[in-house]
Amino acid sequence: MNTHSADGTLSPRDPLIVALLGNPNTGKSTLFSALAGIATRVGNYPGVTVEEKIGQFTHHNQVIKLIDLPGTYSLFPKSPDETVAVNVLRGQMPGVPLPDCVIVVADATNLERNLYLASQVLEIGLPTVIALTLCDLADEKGIVIDTALLAQRLGCPVVRVIAPTHEGIAALCDNVIAAPATLHPSPITLDRDFTAANTGHSLPAREAMARYAWIERQLSGVITKTPPASRSFDERIDAVLTHRGWGTLIFIATMLLVFTSIFWLATPLMDLISSGMDGLATGVESLLPPGAIRSLIVNGVLAGIGGVVVFLPQIAMLFFFVAILEGCGYLSRAAFLMDRLLYGVGLSGKSFIPLLSSFACAIPGIMAARTIENRRDRLLTILVAPLMSCSARLPVYLLLCGAFVPNVAVGVPWLRLPALVLAAMYAVGVVVAALVALVLTQTVFRGPPQPFVMELPGWRWPRASVVWERVREASWSFLQNAGTLIVAVSIVVWALASYPYSQQLIEAEVDADRQKLVWRLSQYPPTDPDRVEIVDQLASLETADGLEAARRGAAQRQSFLGRAGRFIEPVVKPLGWDWRIGCAAIASFPAREVVLGTLGVIYNLGEIDPGEEDGSTALVRRLRAATWDGTNRKVYTLPVALSIMIFFALCAQCASTLVVIAQETNSWVWPVVAFTYMTLLAWLGAFATYQIGSAFDL
Amino acid sequence: MLSLQEVAVGASARVRDVAGSDPTSLRLLEMGLTPGVKVRVVGTAPLGDPLELELRGYRLSIRRNEASRVAVTQ
Repeated sequence: MNTHSADGTLSPRDPLIVALLGNPNTGKSTLFSALAGIATRVGNYPGVTVEEKIGQFTHHNQVIKLIDLPGTYSLFPKSPDETVAVNVLRGQMPGVPLPDCVIVVADATNLERNLYLASQVLEIGLPTVIALTLCDLADEKGIVIDTALLAQRLGCPVVRVIAPTHEGIAALCDNVIAAPATLHPSPITLDRDFTAANTGHSLPAREAMARYAWIERQLSGVITKTPPASRSFDERIDAVLTHRGWGTLIFIATMLLVFTSIFWLATPLMDLISSGMDGLATGVESLLPPGAIRSLIVNGVLAGIGGVVVFLPQIAMLFFFVAILEGCGYLSRAAFLMDRLLYGVGLSGKSFIPLLSSFACAIPGIMAARTIENRRDRLLTILVAPLMSCSARLPVYLLLCGAFVPNVAVGVPWLRLPALVLAAMYAVGVVVAALVALVLTQTVFRGPPQPFVMELPGWRWPRASVVWERVREASWSFLQNAGTLIVAVSIVVWALASYPYSQQLIEAEVDADRQKLVWRLSQYPPTDPDRVEIVDQLASLETADGLEAARRGAAQRQSFLGRAGRFIEPVVKPLGWDWRIGCAAIASFPAREVVLGTLGVIYNLGEIDPGEEDGSTALVRRLRAATWDGTNRKVYTLPVALSIMIFFALCAQCASTLVVIAQETNSWVWPVVAFTYMTLLAWLGAFATYQIGSAFDL
Repeated sequence: MLSLQEVAVGASARVRDVAGSDPTSLRLLEMGLTPGVKVRVVGTAPLGDPLELELRGYRLSIRRNEASRVAVTQ
């Protein structure tokens, strides 16, 4: 709270504390950006997961500290958001000073409902300024608001603003600075008898009636609506978008566009980033002598940075579409259309786009869950989003389906078994996600049913500046928060995969490998087809490249990571895995897509590119020939391949996803929960798959 | 007694009362579904739920489950 001098004016040097409050979807965050630019502080209020966003700016030499309160429809404390808003406005939030002034954001196209919140703020008695947003849209709709009359009736300034073009921002600031000294708010008067039970309605109903009656009185003669003579362009768009047939078709087309964009259109950009990072790595390699430092820079730091930047195209593209859909009011419409499908498992329609996006990558998907206002729904969506099979799992499925699932027709000639298994992997993720959501709503998130009461805004044109701001903010927050952690994880995993390192032990293991191959060759009858592969492997050990790859393989197997693989062998053996597969699963933790590359290294192929025909065939041949140590028993059978696929379909072996969960929930509890439950499910799923598959002798 | 979820698509009704005083009912009231207000059922989502309503000059979506708490007269 500011100190007042004797004459009651503020000393100009004190920062003015201003709270920004408004209904959701009223352009509040756009107004925040227009006033304060980028937030100087984003965090959580103590003890609750409600976002605390604070900005600071100067207007006419007056420093203004702007507290962005969560978007709420009411101040009646029913949710954590509302409780925080009330506590801040009453000066009862620890660490937050009592605001000197409140800006209530009110949507000019929907003033009646928006004034409900304003009526509650006016009752608190703080100096209040009303910012009428979306005025351009109101003008288009022929809604004329007499702001002077409204200001007179409410006893507080009412300022028209068009935040994206900064129209009215200066006037708003002038009013805010003047408000604490000039406004002497007197509480508004509702109908006196609303507390008396004489109408048969409940007390809350009587209060709401009294407030709306008050609003109707304030607004009478203030708003004049002159609807356009003919149906406006917007109304025609609205009619098509909400049409049962056309609306559904347009919805499907829009969602396809969003999905294909992040799934395919982002790929060339991601490839460009990868090859750029590869080029940089080659450059560093040519500058530095081989050794630990070069390896740290290339395989730890650069690989980590590449692993972060590579997500940017998908994040930027998804937020580009989300911002456009949000800006034109279609995001709520999409939630409306899909709600029934998700309601059954305890989610809501708002979870649809985040979950759909997670089929491309869980990271933008989890970030898109920001559009879900309801905390419980948002958390639930974030927790099940990684179960959607992302594009990084696809190469694993493709390789194993192609190599180990018999290519036979199922029923009809065109339906092949590998394709069916591939589809089943996607289905498994969806079904398990539905079950998990259902179980979580019945247990951890048990509570009163969450209402789905959502405003459906009409069609409006999205603003380029707002879209850009959304894309920039999402990309930046990812780079800044998650990015640094992902690089750190990458460096740790590099260290674990590189040390301990002993030239002597590596040479010994390469020799042992050679002898093992010679031994195996002697065990096979001369006509056995596998002999060819073993002869090949022996021959490759005589080449420089083959020997180098074998040394790398040995180094990795002897590293902490390799030892961890051996250490967990008892745990993965029931899944039909040998320690090498366990090792690859652990090594894929920094990024799922490296699992095939890691298998390549483990099987002495060096860093193969599974996307390339040669790398993939070579790996398949190695996998097919792989045997349990000291025996002729094959490791990779159909049940084992299925068990690996199921494990990868359900596990959370993706450090970036877990880091983003931490970033988005502002807590390390939820990534730990996600990792634990998913690893447990993945293990159980893989166990059941392998045991059942083996029992049926597949 | 007629509830809002029984009102035909395209038809209008006047709210009589919102049952209960739990957070869901409070939210419905705050969103403007107060006794006496006129509501039009604009349509439903393709799968039949939720409903799209028009009241107080704006569009609101609520589930059938929630609409069943709202008693109306036509």
